[in-house]
Amino acid sequence: MAAAAFPPLLASAGEQSEVYIPGEAGMIVRSAGFFDLEMPPEFFDSWITPTPHFFVRNHMHEPTTLDRETWRLSVSGEVEKPLHLNLADLEKFQTRTVTNTLECAGNGRGLYQPHVPGVQWQKGAVGTARFSGPRLRDILQRAGLTVSGKHVMFQGLDEVPGKVPPFLRSIPIEKAMDGDTLVATHMNGSALEKHHGFPARALVPGWIGAASCKWLSEIKVLDKEFDGNFMKPGYRMPNHPLKPGEPLNVDDSHVITSLNVKSVIASPTDGSILDSRTFKVRGAAWAGEAEIVKVEISSDGGTSWQAARLHRDEAKYAWRLWSHQVKVPEAGEYTIRARAVDSQGRAQPQEPEWNPSGYLYNAIDQVTIHVRA
Amino acid sequence: MYEPNGCFLRAVFVTVLSVGLLPLLRAQSPQLPPGAIEPKVSAACTECHESRIISQQRLTKAAWGKEVDKMIKWGAVVDSGDRDAFVEYLSTNFPSDKAPEVMPRALAAKKH
Repeated sequence: MAAAAFPPLLASAGEQSEVYIPGEAGMIVRSAGFFDLEMPPEFFDSWITPTPHFFVRNHMHEPTTLDRETWRLSVSGEVEKPLHLNLADLEKFQTRTVTNTLECAGNGRGLYQPHVPGVQWQKGAVGTARFSGPRLRDILQRAGLTVSGKHVMFQGLDEVPGKVPPFLRSIPIEKAMDGDTLVATHMNGSALEKHHGFPARALVPGWIGAASCKWLSEIKVLDKEFDGNFMKPGYRMPNHPLKPGEPLNVDDSHVITSLNVKSVIASPTDGSILDSRTFKVRGAAWAGEAEIVKVEISSDGGTSWQAARLHRDEAKYAWRLWSHQVKVPEAGEYTIRARAVDSQGRAQPQEPEWNPSGYLYNAIDQVTIHVRA
Repeated sequence: MYEPNGCFLRAVFVTVLSVGLLPLLRAQSPQLPPGAIEPKVSAACTECHESRIISQQRLTKAAWGKEVDKMIKWGAVVDSGDRDAFVEYLSTNFPSDKAPEVMPRALAAKKH
């Protein structure tokens, strides 16, 4: 069956703030051209993000038509037996399910100072879902991976406008052969929705979302790292700290892979007016391939910190929800802060690591509230 | 005699629907602020982008210059004589010190 390609119905003149996108109600619309939909803070309340609340990040136009009957996945390059697989072929591989927090590398870009160009994400270009499908390792082994294979490149069916370089990236063979790296066909127990890569996408757990190519059509094993635009100069961080506003020296930088440590406050939201001096602060914390070991909350602007309670649900690559009861002494304005520490000893910094593309924002999160009780 | 199957008919339906709605989408994307060069900016930028992706940027004039040059390199149709006017327009309307744009929420269906 073909996945429908219904575009959103935008509002008429005079109602320009309304955008109609079936199945995506409540999402923050950063772009309805190439879809860029952000999860608002109130949707951080679930360990598994319902698919309609899962952020959407598209660099190009979504494929106009996708048909599960005619879709094919080619596997080529440094392999002995190139493959052309259909969905029925994929279903014959053993299925693995990985619960993964997927985050756009540019999540939080809108919070950088000075401002940088790109989608101005705030907190919600992130979500956690159960992804299922065959292991990439099993597919590569079926194709007869050779010892010369060092990187695995993914290509999707997204439609490239103008002279924009195609969205091609590669991951090292070690990550490709990890038993948790998938060719995912399902998300939260259902076939992938079109916005999330139907009929198959790469799932590179713990890594930036850009590694997990959607609408996957080609897997190519290379003898070296791919060096196209979205590997270099795109998606790179400086090897040494830059001053805010300083340009990136591409030759002194590295490709971004794993996510860093981060926590966000979901509630109360910034600017809230509360009627009680006792209230609960809630949020989520994640750390890519590492585990969250501690989240601390401050209600006095960072002078003192108390440990938040980490909720029970956990999985290797998934965020931990957390909460903390706060009691403030009197009515007034308060700054609530949250900071996380992971199993690699990384802690959220006071200031983000500035870079001119606004990647990997993870400064200590804060909201300002007013208590009037 | 050739009889189109269900998949084919669905593909035709989806294609016609998509292509048919494109002018509507372009027409109903929020207008960029008025200005002498605005029609050319809208024509060049909204060929690929929805206008919100432009209006949410908060950049210095130098940064806008880099963005315009990158987009020209990537296929945006901008007369060479209009390049500076594009940068002036964009940096005047979407400067680095302007308050962030409040983005809309998606609605599931139009209210009746």
